[in-house]
Amino acid sequence: MSTTKAGTAAADSKSFDIVATYNELLRSDPDITMPIAAIEALVHVLTHCPSSTISETLDLLEKSTAHLKRSIPNPIGLSAGTDLFQRYLITTLQRPGQLGPAGDFKAIRTHLLSNGRLFIRRAKESRQKIAAFGRGFIRDGCTVLTNGGSRAVASLLQKAADEEGGPSAVRFRVIYVLSSMSKNIEEPSGEPEGMETVRALRAKGVPVATIPESAVAYALGKTDMIIVGAEGVVENGGIVSRMGTYQIGLLAKAIGKPFYVVAESHKFVRLFPLGQYDLPIEQHVVDFKSADDIAEEKKRKQQTLDVGNGDKPVELPLSDSVDFTPPHLISALITDSGVLTPSAVSEELIKIWF
Amino acid sequence: MADSSDMAQTNLPVIASTQAQTTATGDHPTSQVTQSLPIREAKSTKTPTSADNVNAKKNVAPKPSMSTTDGPTVAGGEKPLTPAELKKKAKAEKAARRAKEKLAKEGGAGAAGSPASGAPQGRPPVTPKKDASGASMAQKAQRATHTRRGSAPTGHGGDEPVKKEDKSVAVFGHLYGQPRRTTIAGAGKEVHPAVLALGLQLRDYVVCGSSARCVATLLAFKRVIESYTTPLGTSLSRHLTTHLSHQITYLSTCRPLSITQGNAIRALKLAISSIDPSTPELSAKATLCEFIDNFIREKITVADQVIAASAAQKVQDGDVIVTFAGSSIVKQTLLSAHKQGKRFRVSIIDSRPLFEGKNMARALANAGLDVQYSLVHGISHAIKDATKVFLGAHAMTSNGRLYSRVGTALVAMSAKERAGGVEVPVIVCCETVKFTDRVALDSIVVNEIADADELVSAQSAQQLTGVTDPVAPSKPDNKKGGKGASNAAKPATLASDLETSSSPLSNWKDNSNLQLLNIMYDVTPAEYVDMVVTEMGSLPPSAVPIVHRMTE
Repeated sequence: MSTTKAGTAAADSKSFDIVATYNELLRSDPDITMPIAAIEALVHVLTHCPSSTISETLDLLEKSTAHLKRSIPNPIGLSAGTDLFQRYLITTLQRPGQLGPAGDFKAIRTHLLSNGRLFIRRAKESRQKIAAFGRGFIRDGCTVLTNGGSRAVASLLQKAADEEGGPSAVRFRVIYVLSSMSKNIEEPSGEPEGMETVRALRAKGVPVATIPESAVAYALGKTDMIIVGAEGVVENGGIVSRMGTYQIGLLAKAIGKPFYVVAESHKFVRLFPLGQYDLPIEQHVVDFKSADDIAEEKKRKQQTLDVGNGDKPVELPLSDSVDFTPPHLISALITDSGVLTPSAVSEELIKIWF
Repeated sequence: MADSSDMAQTNLPVIASTQAQTTATGDHPTSQVTQSLPIREAKSTKTPTSADNVNAKKNVAPKPSMSTTDGPTVAGGEKPLTPAELKKKAKAEKAARRAKEKLAKEGGAGAAGSPASGAPQGRPPVTPKKDASGASMAQKAQRATHTRRGSAPTGHGGDEPVKKEDKSVAVFGHLYGQPRRTTIAGAGKEVHPAVLALGLQLRDYVVCGSSARCVATLLAFKRVIESYTTPLGTSLSRHLTTHLSHQITYLSTCRPLSITQGNAIRALKLAISSIDPSTPELSAKATLCEFIDNFIREKITVADQVIAASAAQKVQDGDVIVTFAGSSIVKQTLLSAHKQGKRFRVSIIDSRPLFEGKNMARALANAGLDVQYSLVHGISHAIKDATKVFLGAHAMTSNGRLYSRVGTALVAMSAKERAGGVEVPVIVCCETVKFTDRVALDSIVVNEIADADELVSAQSAQQLTGVTDPVAPSKPDNKKGGKGASNAAKPATLASDLETSSSPLSNWKDNSNLQLLNIMYDVTPAEYVDMVVTEMGSLPPSAVPIVHRMTE
């Protein structure tokens, strides 16, 4: 009985395309982060597919999560969200009382959905909280070096710039490292990630210098601190972030400048990479080729164009590749639950999971 | 290890793949290495030894006084005792106890190890160690003076003969305590036969390794509980703890208790004290036995499976995994990674005198893994092509440091500070039952000293194969071809000579200038550990106290 139900539920979830929903959410709302989009997509799944038992709900959730993770080239960020949501569901369902396993399932379900939405709203607000915590780090006359297109960093810098509007604002300068890799191959002339933030800061009267990645070491002498964003914060307190962050971290350590990471606490992932090549994603950054290989690849590309895109495994575009910055390079993590040392991240994660 | 010339020079790494294993039973290549060591020592120490004999003669007079303070149980333990001897022994024990109490008082803390202590709820096995940290300052200061006097080069004329007899290494002086029990004679009548047997097994390293010791202790205690009857006029929850503490005291005289044993005993005592006094004895005993079974299953058996599964995920194709000595959980991890079809090599680094890695090498090679076995002095070779280091643990302290078999810190450091700068991750596999709230800053304050005589014998106490002297007969043809045959033959005969007589260190106790240190554990700084795999998940070492707090 229950198996047939689960089967129909799975079929329902197939008809409801979670991947499309996820991508749509990310596209429609520029402020949303990957874990939150994943949670929102999962809430959508739950609302669209009626389930009547707890195990059915969990099963549906697990299947959609697995499906979503398979179809996205870099599932590190979103897995933080899906894990968190699943954990939250399980703890809610295990709690004794009206909403526990003994209670009325319909009530549980509506409670879950409404709380899921509440969770999403709170997560969106967390960026403001981070900006409030991190504001104190930026002082008059200091120069901040940053990179990538992190919205948390952008909101922090902007908050510091327009503190109570005009005169009381912090007078600081920003060195913005712009990625040389263009966002997509179709439009190579497109502006690099982060230009929007640069414009916004300049509009607020903050002097901004833009430098290429190769000039980081050169520019670090004029820098007082480095603030970067993160895609995921892993269990040992290191971060998974846009390619190039690791080298900035290494340089900062070598030159002795503080290296701060701005990340929402829903980006904490249950993942423990031991090094650069221990991430659970496929990326071909270092790709050895000889002339023969290039010729063969060209031929194959022609063929696939002729045949049309079959079920090729999803591959991470080079511009979206990430690297891992180990915890010993990080001075502090500015999160919505406070300013943490890297070793406190595991404590936070353990608190969530046990 | 392609360059054989390198191997010939250093005599070190021995490849024991499945193929080479048949030869390993015949003539043990590793024992060759170990036995070639005394030869060199013999040569270099020859003159000092003869000189020391003179010294020893000088010291004949004070020698008996030493045996009264220090080694009466060792001396009188082996043969059946006459009543007179028993009396003498009891007297000596009392004297030793008094001396120890005096020492403890001087140290400012009561490290009373006497079995008759009236506090059943305390943890007698743990207290001496624990107090050691508190009392260490005073004791260390006291010992420091010893060192200064002892190490003064001119000071060994005829002054202070009493100090000379002290065969304990000054820095570790606080760790010596009473010598380990060598017999079950003199054990209290309350001690259960299963516990008596276990004590001797622990002492002889038959049961070795902190998880194994914990399990064995719990199983023995289960039998104690099964055969226990509450005396009249008292209740089980009150009396059983005292009864158990007799057993525990006996065990701790055989070998200092491990952290796991301490944690398990604490949990068991808590379970006993939480039993309602009105519970009938039979059901209370059943509850306790069930508690023990659950504890073993949850904290060790299942935990090991979970750890092995999650640590095996970190093994990747093409890895060269270095491990030290013989951790059962690392063995399990590597075997399960092998079962998953991963292709990797294992390099086991082992050390004297326990040779725990031999069992591991045998087991892994039998399972079809490529195994390289070398001793700890070959570490720079073994670490050269390592990609990951897996370590077992005796305990993890609250400051994230790893307390494990001596030599572990060296392996971790070699991996982290390898020339070339390529980082090799160091992964520790450790059940949460091994976590302790103690803090270790160095490996001096808390440690364990084993019998120094273990270092003396050339033949290890726990050899896998009972081969009688593999060196002498097969030596000439087995020696590497590159070296001159005459050169090789000469030490071989010398070795067999030594073998028949004894190790050059055999009468080290008579030599006033010679001290042997057989330390059991060392402390690996948290910076050298990347990851601790526990049954609760993978953690950085800094998260150890948090998890410990949660599992308490």
